Amino acid sequence: MGAKILIVDDEVQIRRLLRVTLEAHGFSTVEANRGKDAVSQASFVRPDLVILDLGLPDMDGMEVLAQIRAWSSVPILVLTVREDEAGKVHALDHGADDYITKPFGMSELMARIRVALRHAARQSDQPVLHIGPLTIDLARRIVEKNGVSVKLTPIEYELLKTLAKNAGRVLTHRQLLKQVWGEQNYETAGHYLRVYVGHLRKKIEDEPTRPQLIVTEPGVGYRLVAPQEDSNEVSVNDGG
Amino acid sequence: MREVEPSVLKWRVLTSYMMPWPNPGKLPEESSRRSGRFPYLVITLMVALLTTVFWKVGNAFNLVNLALLYLLPVLVSAARWGRGPSFYAAGIGVVSFDFFFVPPVHRFSVADIRYLVSFIVYLAVAAFTASLAAQLRQNAREAIAREAVTSSLFTLSTQVAAGRDLDQVLREIVVHAWNTFGLPTAILLPHPNGELQVQVMAGFPDGKLTPALEPRVIEWVYKHGQMAGYGSSAHRDGNFLYVPLKTESKVHGVMCVGADHRRTGTSKSARIPVVQALAGLASVSIARTHFEEEAKIAHLTAESERLRTALLDSISHELRTPLATIIGAATALGEGASVLSADDQHELLLTVHEGAMRMNRLVTNLLGMVRLESGMLRLNKKWCDVSDMIGVALSQVHDALQNRKVSVHLPSGLPPVAVDDVLVEQALVNLLSNAIKYSPDGSAIDIDALEYDGVLTLRIRDRGIGIPEDEADKIFDKFYRSQSAQAIPGTGLGLAICKGIIQAHGGEIYARPADDTGTVFTIRLPVGDSEQQGLSLGDTEEMSF
Repeated sequence: MGAKILIVDDEVQIRRLLRVTLEAHGFSTVEANRGKDAVSQASFVRPDLVILDLGLPDMDGMEVLAQIRAWSSVPILVLTVREDEAGKVHALDHGADDYITKPFGMSELMARIRVALRHAARQSDQPVLHIGPLTIDLARRIVEKNGVSVKLTPIEYELLKTLAKNAGRVLTHRQLLKQVWGEQNYETAGHYLRVYVGHLRKKIEDEPTRPQLIVTEPGVGYRLVAPQEDSNEVSVNDGG
Repeated sequence: MREVEPSVLKWRVLTSYMMPWPNPGKLPEESSRRSGRFPYLVITLMVALLTTVFWKVGNAFNLVNLALLYLLPVLVSAARWGRGPSFYAAGIGVVSFDFFFVPPVHRFSVADIRYLVSFIVYLAVAAFTASLAAQLRQNAREAIAREAVTSSLFTLSTQVAAGRDLDQVLREIVVHAWNTFGLPTAILLPHPNGELQVQVMAGFPDGKLTPALEPRVIEWVYKHGQMAGYGSSAHRDGNFLYVPLKTESKVHGVMCVGADHRRTGTSKSARIPVVQALAGLASVSIARTHFEEEAKIAHLTAESERLRTALLDSISHELRTPLATIIGAATALGEGASVLSADDQHELLLTVHEGAMRMNRLVTNLLGMVRLESGMLRLNKKWCDVSDMIGVALSQVHDALQNRKVSVHLPSGLPPVAVDDVLVEQALVNLLSNAIKYSPDGSAIDIDALEYDGVLTLRIRDRGIGIPEDEADKIFDKFYRSQSAQAIPGTGLGLAICKGIIQAHGGEIYARPADDTGTVFTIRLPVGDSEQQGLSLGDTEEMSF
């Protein structure tokens, strides 16, 4: 692939891990260990993707995110810690493309990077989306699962379309509400989102209580994933 | 209260006025009987009766016998009414004797001068008997009063010994001092800011300390542990007696006792033993409360010490074991392909992976525990879908499940619940991990849920080693590991975190042995307010494409 990735983290070990792994996967890497350094590197080397640790010693990771977003639409993946759901949502609502929680598995990181790069490359709308067993014909507003037509209400369709256009990426509750319902009071409308995701799951998931397509990111939002895309990372076993 | 140097302390001379204290509940009325005219009337009648009788049968007695018989009313009145009436009895006795019987009869003059000597002897005997009888009477009355005081102190002390709350005990003491002994009493205790403040009081009109207490005296008493005020050796002019509440080691406070309302006739020093007994009771109660508090603190310290030791043992073991496998496997891998076959290398890598995952779980649980314990936990409640939360939890334990069969039974129409989904998912993950850890691979795990009357009940059932009935509650304690689970590694944190999370939501969690094998964990959560649920976004008709 050869894409250039800027790694922003103050921990030497994390930077080394990312550098070695990413270069082994054919990416080229640039490193920054400070926020200021990251902002200047981002404008100087023009990376194709930025991996940004939100916990930096010199400045808030959010500030770095804002400064890069001020002039660039480069995909940004933020590295966060587990307990910081509010921080994740804030970063996503303020321009981050996706997040990954430390500690993370490499396959998960690679999947996120691939999705982010793909979205950056493919800005124009495709008329037909294929996600796993789903086929969504945006022009004719037709949804099929394994070739069988699925009946959806208008809001369910909009919800699925929004998720599918961002396939592989996490969408926060706020982003989904804004795109599906337009401007709303997010706090009170959050409940409807859950209800419609539930409805949608009943129609497109094989097993709605154990969803494989529309995955909940706890405290953050939802992500539409194509099962075969990350089949290699769950190949260890498949219980249940 | 100002700090006053003892050297500059000068007792202010107060104009010694006595405030009229309000009457306590049962004031004695013994004095009214003594001071009335009734005894004199009775004595007059008695003497008149005697005189009449003697007059009729007078010839049978000689005069000396009559004089002795006239002593009877004197004795009776001395025993019954005290000195005054008995002197009166003696007086009218002599007069009657002289007038009616001593020749010349019906005259006060005395023919034989020896009768005058008789009269004097008679009067002396009467006076002596009267004062003796009065003395006896007084002694008896005081003995009865003392006994009443003692027995009521005894009653109070048993009440005080049984009392739990210090404030209540002290209040009982002052109320008792007022009701039983007529002593208006207040108890002052030091407050955290160092000032002595009134803790309880009784017997003061309108609940106000009038006449005002003297702060300087109180300070002095508290500092020196000596009595001051009326009836004591220092500051005798005060309106109060200030008694230090003293035990062997320290002065706990000061008891202020106003003037005795009841026994105004007795000397002030006579009530000091009573006051001291009350003060003693108060100090013992205070000291006991202090000791109880200290014992509680000591117990808590020991408990936290025990927890810290358990934490250190558990963590050092739980962290070192995976670390040992990771370091060992990593160094072995460093030797490279010359020593290890591809399969060996893969196995070592799996070891590293498993060790790291285990450490990750431990760190997650430790952080969760710290968050719960430190009060940093803030519930971010939202309306959440139960099946969604179960789905997330299941996806997180996906790898650990191996070949265990999970079946989820949810009734349709399960309402959303207002919870912090991230925390409840963490609780579910911990419960599922627990079920996985203690059950064999390939066994079944059942999850079901139902809602009834605003309470969501979630059950997770495994077919593992089960739980003894008597340990069912203990397993939610921090660092508690079941006796039957010693061979399986763990910290005893996971279920404690579950309990913390569920309790923070106002719910409950418990474990019971399942009917045949395994354990059933039950979570009960309040669903939350059901506002906004009936609203619709106008998306009802289905579209067909």
